[in-house]
Amino acid sequence: MKTSSFQSWAGNMNEPLLSVKDLSIAYQVPGLDVVAVSRAFFDVPKGAIVGLVGESGCGKTTMARAFTRIIADNAKITEGSMLFDGQDLAKLSEKAMNDLRWRDIAFVPQSAMNSLDPVYRVEYQLNEVLRGRGGLSRAQARKRAVELFELVGIEANRLRDFPHQFSGGMRQRVAIALALALNPKLIVADEPVTALDVIVQRQILDQMRDLQRDLGISIIIVTHDISVVAYICDRTVVMYAGEVVEDCDTKTLLSAPLHPYTMGLKNAFPDIASAGSGMLTPISGAPPDLARPPSGCRFAARCPFATDHCRAVSPTLRQFAAGHSVACHRADEAVVLRGKAENPATWGEMA
Amino acid sequence: MSTLKPVLSRTFQLMLVLWAVVTILFLMFRLMPGNPLAAYIDPTFTLEQQEQLIRQFGLDKPLLQQYFTYIGNLLQGELGYSFRYRTPVADRIWLLLPNTLILTFSSLIIAYFFGILAGAWLAWHRGSRAEAVALPVVLATRAMPEFWLGMVLLAVFSFSLGIFPAGGTRSPGTEYDSLWALYTSADFLSHLALPMLTLAIYSQGLPLLLMRSNMLDVMKEDFVTMAKVKGLSPYTIVIRHGARNALLPVMTSFAISVGYQLQGNVVVESVFSWPGLGRELVSAVSASDYPLAQGAFLMIAVVVILMNLIADLLYTFLDPRISHA
Amino acid sequence: MLEAIASRGKIRRMFGALKVPVGDNFAVAGLIIYVLFMLTAIFAPVLAPFDPTEILYSTDYELASDLLPGQEGHILGTTSLGRDIFSQIVFGARSALLVGLTAAFMVAFIGTIVGLLAGYFGGWIDMILMRLADVAFGIPFLPFVIVISAFLEPSIWNTVIAMALVLWRDTARVIRSQVLTLRSRGYVEAARVAGSSDLKIIVRHIAPNIVPLSLLYGSIAIGWAILTEASISFLGFGDPDSISWGYMLQDAFASQALSRQAYHWFIPPGMAIIFVVSAGFFISRGYENLLFPKLGR
Repeated sequence: MKTSSFQSWAGNMNEPLLSVKDLSIAYQVPGLDVVAVSRAFFDVPKGAIVGLVGESGCGKTTMARAFTRIIADNAKITEGSMLFDGQDLAKLSEKAMNDLRWRDIAFVPQSAMNSLDPVYRVEYQLNEVLRGRGGLSRAQARKRAVELFELVGIEANRLRDFPHQFSGGMRQRVAIALALALNPKLIVADEPVTALDVIVQRQILDQMRDLQRDLGISIIIVTHDISVVAYICDRTVVMYAGEVVEDCDTKTLLSAPLHPYTMGLKNAFPDIASAGSGMLTPISGAPPDLARPPSGCRFAARCPFATDHCRAVSPTLRQFAAGHSVACHRADEAVVLRGKAENPATWGEMA
Repeated sequence: MSTLKPVLSRTFQLMLVLWAVVTILFLMFRLMPGNPLAAYIDPTFTLEQQEQLIRQFGLDKPLLQQYFTYIGNLLQGELGYSFRYRTPVADRIWLLLPNTLILTFSSLIIAYFFGILAGAWLAWHRGSRAEAVALPVVLATRAMPEFWLGMVLLAVFSFSLGIFPAGGTRSPGTEYDSLWALYTSADFLSHLALPMLTLAIYSQGLPLLLMRSNMLDVMKEDFVTMAKVKGLSPYTIVIRHGARNALLPVMTSFAISVGYQLQGNVVVESVFSWPGLGRELVSAVSASDYPLAQGAFLMIAVVVILMNLIADLLYTFLDPRISHA
Repeated sequence: MLEAIASRGKIRRMFGALKVPVGDNFAVAGLIIYVLFMLTAIFAPVLAPFDPTEILYSTDYELASDLLPGQEGHILGTTSLGRDIFSQIVFGARSALLVGLTAAFMVAFIGTIVGLLAGYFGGWIDMILMRLADVAFGIPFLPFVIVISAFLEPSIWNTVIAMALVLWRDTARVIRSQVLTLRSRGYVEAARVAGSSDLKIIVRHIAPNIVPLSLLYGSIAIGWAILTEASISFLGFGDPDSISWGYMLQDAFASQALSRQAYHWFIPPGMAIIFVVSAGFFISRGYENLLFPKLGR
């Protein structure tokens, strides 16, 4: 078992762990193709926590699940690549992909209650991966299970319990313990704290950050809540209507965003660290129908700064500064636009 | 254990139900048109027998007192005297009960074994041609009168093909040392074959459809998706997680099916002249042998209620969400 | 706004109960069978070549018994007593329809009322009614019908009475469950607070949502009624004067049709029952998918 992956990667520290290039994923509904993810580009550096943020239906969950290659029956990766540790996940054979599953890429689901089999004890479900996929002996598995529970802060004697005997927050920790079982390089967490109350949210996020620091794992956190991103993510990728609209480090994202959607998002959520402060101004309107996407910028209908050019021509994702990409025609005017975005009246006009 | 309370409460509830059924039975037979004594006394009994029965069942006392006597007698297993057989009803009932139980359980076990496997298989092959054919056929088996099915099988396999005997539990003239020897003899089994097959075909529809339906639901559950993401083998996913969860409601339905099947037994036993409680009930009613009719009905009701109770308890114990609350 | 949503859903559900599920082949086949069945029952005297109870004689003054299909104008042959089998099948549809509809109506009606009262009022009304349902579940149905037949005159109505007394139990439980779900939604309580009377609430909010369920269970009950009536007749407790499919089977069985391999006598009545009862299943499955769509089934 690897204890610290850091040293072994020291050689190629600059290579991203996961590199998504031009990725498109579509759902085949009778007579129609709904493109859920459209030409996504972003990188996940080694040992970083990357947030994938956007409202529901923006394609973030679809993309996150695509990293495990367990997607809906009628969904298909239509183009692009997902380079993970030198291999393109999109092109791997099922057998090769299955070898990677859980060993290199693990998943923390949104609702741990539903993702744990109610009729088996938690220890059994841990052993499924520890012994079944990790090849450990019974004694080794036991030791590892206890270790994992300690890592996430649950008493070892609870290994014999059934999933429904855990509270919501503890179940989420069990899910995290499960994900860590085989020391993966990447953990994809889909809304890991959404179902929990704020205090427990913070505990879980703290735990995730500590684990990440100690073990050097990369984590992708999918969420619609920008305050979660603000709390622990090193980098953030913002998605809207199936497209990546902004990608940069979190500090910059919050202080100097380039995309109007990101500017609007900031106003819509209270800061997790100081709950309750700041006004809430949701962005009015709804995302476009992905079965019939508009020809110009997808955000134009709800953007207070949209011009006719925006509505006619779709902006492509381009690198604006080092480590900061954005898909907006008016990114150069960001400083001015940011000022206007601070004023709730700007967004009120769009209602 | 935290499950003790619901177990006790459910048992108590069903005891109440049993009591209610027993009371309804009492009222039905006492209040029927004609001589109120006719429920227990046949004019052809000797005077001595009649007087004994009147005393035993308090037939000359007021209704309420009769009722308590009746309950008291029941608890002692005293069910009166059969008009036709001139023997205590209880004796006759105990003699016939095993035949009915053997028929019921053997056919149900086969039905469930087949139904569960076929249901899981059909769920796995959803949308296939096999499914398009199989489902209507299964629905047809649930739409047919069991006795008709019995008649068809009898006509084909017994009369036309001569493979199986035409009825009863054994060939005339056969003797056995013990019940065990009887029940395991080839002769008995060949007599059991057709009625058992009839009931099995009739009953397999429920477990099949239920298992299929449950499997389709369970395979959509998040924990099945998670099992896939964990990279577990197809066997583990479908059987250990899928089927294990889908099986739960099917197992409890087994207990309830015994209750329903027992009623179907009535007609199948008649078709195959199988000496069980169902056939006895029919012939007793036809012959106006009221004590025997009451006794047979009562025994059937007891088994039905008992199986309902077992079904409830089974679920409590098999579902860890309830047993380890 | 909640009102508007509620009433739209309500109207949709009511029409759902009447709509023909065109997409579902089996349901359509079921409906066609039902229509044929009803037409046969209604126009029996016209469709049947002979009187079903009439003992017939052949041209040479012999009893026209045990004729094979096709002989002397008997499509399905004759019984041992010289009666035309095809005519019996046709007229059998009548008693099947009669028993089926009345029993189904009683079961659905009683079950709905009980479920509605228990679910809506709760408390001790609920407790008493559900204990009653428990008792109904504890009574073995067919034996019960047999015992009742011991006291009453042999008649097809024995089945109906017995069903009305016992088989409302399934419908009651399901309706009660549905009513409880409806009650847990805001608008019933809102209407209460606004001062609507119980009757008004039941009629406007609850009934439209449970009527489709009642119809569903009623349509399944038709099949049960026909099967039960067949069993009762087969056992000899039915009305000997009315020709039903169950009676035909009893007649065949008692006349040793099995050993004589007179398949033409006992296969058709069974097939008739299978078709009609299956049709009921298909239709109810079609409606169930219409009312509670389960995607991808």
